[in-house]
Amino acid sequence: MTATATPAREGAARSRPDLGKSALPFRRRFANRGMTVLIAACLLLAILPLGLVVYEVVSRGAGVMSLEFLTADIPRNYRREGPGMGAAVVGTLVITGMAALLAIPLGVMGAIYLNEYGKQSALARFIRTMADVMTGVPSIVMGLFIYVTWVLAIGEKNGFGGALALACLMLPIVIRSSEEMLRLVPDELRQASAALGARKWRTIVTVVLPSAISGITSGSLLAVARAAGETAPIIVTVGIAFAANPDLFDGGNTTLAAQIYRNASLTFAGAQDRAWGAALTLIAIVLLFTIIARLIAARFALKER
Amino acid sequence: MTVNVRGKVLPLLAASALALGVAACGGGDSADDAGNTGTSDLSGELTASGASFPDAYYQVAIEAYAEVAPEVVINYNSTGSGTGKKEFGEGLTDFAGTDSLVGDDDPVEPGSFLYVPTVAAPITVSYNLPGVEGLQLGQETLAQIFQGDIETWNDPAIAEANPDAELPDTPITIAHRSDGSGTTTNFTKFLDEATESWELGSGDVVEWPSDSQGGEKNTGVASIIQQTEGAIGYVDLADATGSELVFAAVENADGEFVMPSIAGTTAGLEGAEVAEDLSYNPLNAAGADAYPITAPTYILVRTSYEDPQTAELVKAFLTWLLTDGQALAEDEFFAPLPDSLAEQALAQLDKIQS
Repeated sequence: MTATATPAREGAARSRPDLGKSALPFRRRFANRGMTVLIAACLLLAILPLGLVVYEVVSRGAGVMSLEFLTADIPRNYRREGPGMGAAVVGTLVITGMAALLAIPLGVMGAIYLNEYGKQSALARFIRTMADVMTGVPSIVMGLFIYVTWVLAIGEKNGFGGALALACLMLPIVIRSSEEMLRLVPDELRQASAALGARKWRTIVTVVLPSAISGITSGSLLAVARAAGETAPIIVTVGIAFAANPDLFDGGNTTLAAQIYRNASLTFAGAQDRAWGAALTLIAIVLLFTIIARLIAARFALKER
Repeated sequence: MTVNVRGKVLPLLAASALALGVAACGGGDSADDAGNTGTSDLSGELTASGASFPDAYYQVAIEAYAEVAPEVVINYNSTGSGTGKKEFGEGLTDFAGTDSLVGDDDPVEPGSFLYVPTVAAPITVSYNLPGVEGLQLGQETLAQIFQGDIETWNDPAIAEANPDAELPDTPITIAHRSDGSGTTTNFTKFLDEATESWELGSGDVVEWPSDSQGGEKNTGVASIIQQTEGAIGYVDLADATGSELVFAAVENADGEFVMPSIAGTTAGLEGAEVAEDLSYNPLNAAGADAYPITAPTYILVRTSYEDPQTAELVKAFLTWLLTDGQALAEDEFFAPLPDSLAEQALAQLDKIQS
């Protein structure tokens, strides 16, 4: 501080030195301006695809969007024009919801084990490696795995099979992201808690988890968003439904992603409109969940100061 | 799932249904309902998957059936014949739709199922060649096009049959099914039986020339044709018409060039010989009006169902499909069965044990 302050004070005594950008040599000013422009251009380029996707989906999907579109049955005859994605909206909510219910508690508890108990033990290292491997398993493989172990075993395609497949996909993401978040909680907090006489489980529940909750929520949301958009495992495990079927254990089901795939591959105008509408609905649902989860996380998080 | 089968139905159906014992009170729990006059209130759920070829008709029929039996939910998943047979064999579905017969490769146990023919329809040879309509294709030419021997549209073999058409030198893109498909079976079976040049054999999956394009289900092939100039492919009439594709007149057994139509299909059906298991082959049937690539389509049902109520539901739906349901076929570009075959199919349902 003093080193930089001294010349300034001296300068003030004489004439104030010019510290503005114009005082820099032309080459440096040029490089600075050039780099700023370049970085801004990169930013634009990066958000361009995002913007285009949103623009395209909204402009094509908004036309068919209506309350009826969100609630009406899917037309059996794909050639027909007009609304209906109710079955898929319900299916997406219950299947993804059930998958989240299965994967998030399990994943967070797994992460707590890894970071608080297992640490660098052989078992913990093994689980960590397996979770990393599982993250890379293609979703269709998970779908086929559930098809063989669940669908064939119970002899029916239903929503729960889809939820299981999605849960398998979400689990490794939840475990790894939650563990990273728990690792960021400073050890001082744990030691302080222990010094006050709290047991280990109490420390975890009241100190560690609340400190990391915001990050855990983000990680879990990422997993939910990924699961909601999965098509392949859904197609092989849940079958089909045209009317809303909130029962996960009886009868076929369908999701928005599966319906986008189904309808977009058809040549009929009505089906393609429905596919765009379904895409818009899916984006809106994911966005809505992100906002809700952020609000919840903000409520439970320890206040930073 | 509560299944409550009493006895219901449409006056038209009642007679035949009774005769077949279909209206029998399978559920039994409320069969003694005094006000019950032989009509049934069926309820329950049927799961089915299979052929995409008759999907358009089945979906319309299922929708119409919902007005007859409002408590019955039927979900037919258009997955292609191959997947349909597989899921049926694995016990995931109550019945399957298929355009091809069950082969040795299909995981369906012989003797555990019955064929129930439902409707038939022409397979169009659709193409995308702006400015060229009413193309006429000979059988040998068709075989050579689809195995890649003829590579451009202005090939002399095509030009010979179409003296008036201005054929461009656009390369031909073959569009075919990528999934296991009964449509592929019927189309290749036609080429295999009718022509000498066809060398690729026939089946649900065929080894197409390497520069061809595969699409999923009939609608997938339709979309390839729609988007690719110079493409040619085989698509069912309903999807080809729905996708506004242009299709060719194909040379039939009598040497006439016939456009695909319901009338041409019916003409083809009449010339077909029906086997004992009710499979039949209307391909390349004789008759000047017969469209040569006419495909049958079947529903596979089990000879016995674990749940007797499922058996009742399947019987009731198929009975309706083979009687009143046939009237819906033509509007969806499918040909209803000739009366004699429909009767045989109804009799086939009797063999389902419950």
